[in-house]
Amino acid sequence: MTRRFVVAAVALVAVAAALAAIAATQGGASKRSSLARLSNDGRTVTLQHGVIVREAHLQRASLLAVRGRLAVYRLEGRTSTCFGTGDSNDVGQVGSVQCAHGPFPTAGWPVLDLSIYEGATHGLRELSLYRVEGIAADGVTAVEFLRPDGSVALKVPVSGNVYSTTEVPSGAIAGVAALDKAGKELWRSP
Amino acid sequence: MTTRAHACILIVVIRFVLFVIASACVAAVIAAVRPASAAAGWCWPSCSTYGLLGAGTSTYNGCWYSIGEVCSGWSYWGTNGVVKTCYPGCDYYGNTRGTILYGFENRDRIRGRFTLLSNRFYIQPYEVGMGGYLRAQVAWYSGPASQINVAAG
Repeated sequence: MTRRFVVAAVALVAVAAALAAIAATQGGASKRSSLARLSNDGRTVTLQHGVIVREAHLQRASLLAVRGRLAVYRLEGRTSTCFGTGDSNDVGQVGSVQCAHGPFPTAGWPVLDLSIYEGATHGLRELSLYRVEGIAADGVTAVEFLRPDGSVALKVPVSGNVYSTTEVPSGAIAGVAALDKAGKELWRSP
Repeated sequence: MTTRAHACILIVVIRFVLFVIASACVAAVIAAVRPASAAAGWCWPSCSTYGLLGAGTSTYNGCWYSIGEVCSGWSYWGTNGVVKTCYPGCDYYGNTRGTILYGFENRDRIRGRFTLLSNRFYIQPYEVGMGGYLRAQVAWYSGPASQINVAAG
């Protein structure tokens, strides 16, 4: 009885340790599976070490797209999956990174907008587009940028889960919307 | 051994397992929200603490927006790093309700990216089409105050 009990206790500890090890090693895989709706896996590239790679604890990079001088990356950090951009003339050199705690993409969050906005009037918090770029889920075929009155200022197609353009209209932008193949709005922020 | 002794051992083992799991969770949370950098040229509110950036926050040093923004002094900045916590709370996706704009500014304009997300963000001046003598900035845009740590270097 005693021996059987000790064996059971040891087995319980062993199972717990195995589960902890699996959780520790499979965290990244679980996050990757939550990105299953991004069918563009990209091409593995070597990260060039620098401040951002060090500070964001980036470990691996996949080049999702090159659009002109823009390189778009999916990046695996120590604790989360991140997305970033850089100069396409220097692939692997990451110039910006956004990481998130939660899974991406999901039905509730199908677009990660990485666009650059600018303001040129002090005191006025109406910002216009400087450059458009971002990541979108498989089901998103276009991304719209909206005026404060809700009208569409710009519609950008999504290709290979990436959208981008440097040809942007002037004037205030107040929101972003994701559209499906039929032009139906799937999501809007804010 | 008695049945009671068996129960005691079982309880100790279960407590140990729970302690290991809880410790792993705490370590993961601490790692995820660690301030941006301790070796930066400029930090806000310091290089190891978080501050609330809301509509009335200011560093009173001539930022693009006199309130609702924190900014560094002028320098040849290489990177602006922001860590945003889940304060006062996050949804399933890690979004808070406070939107911030992080990036850089010069005497003519302010540029950056918007985010509602909690986690860490880094950006370099060329990503916003800027270079030279700049200020690193984080500005409140909408919603409740965001709890952030900013470090530029």
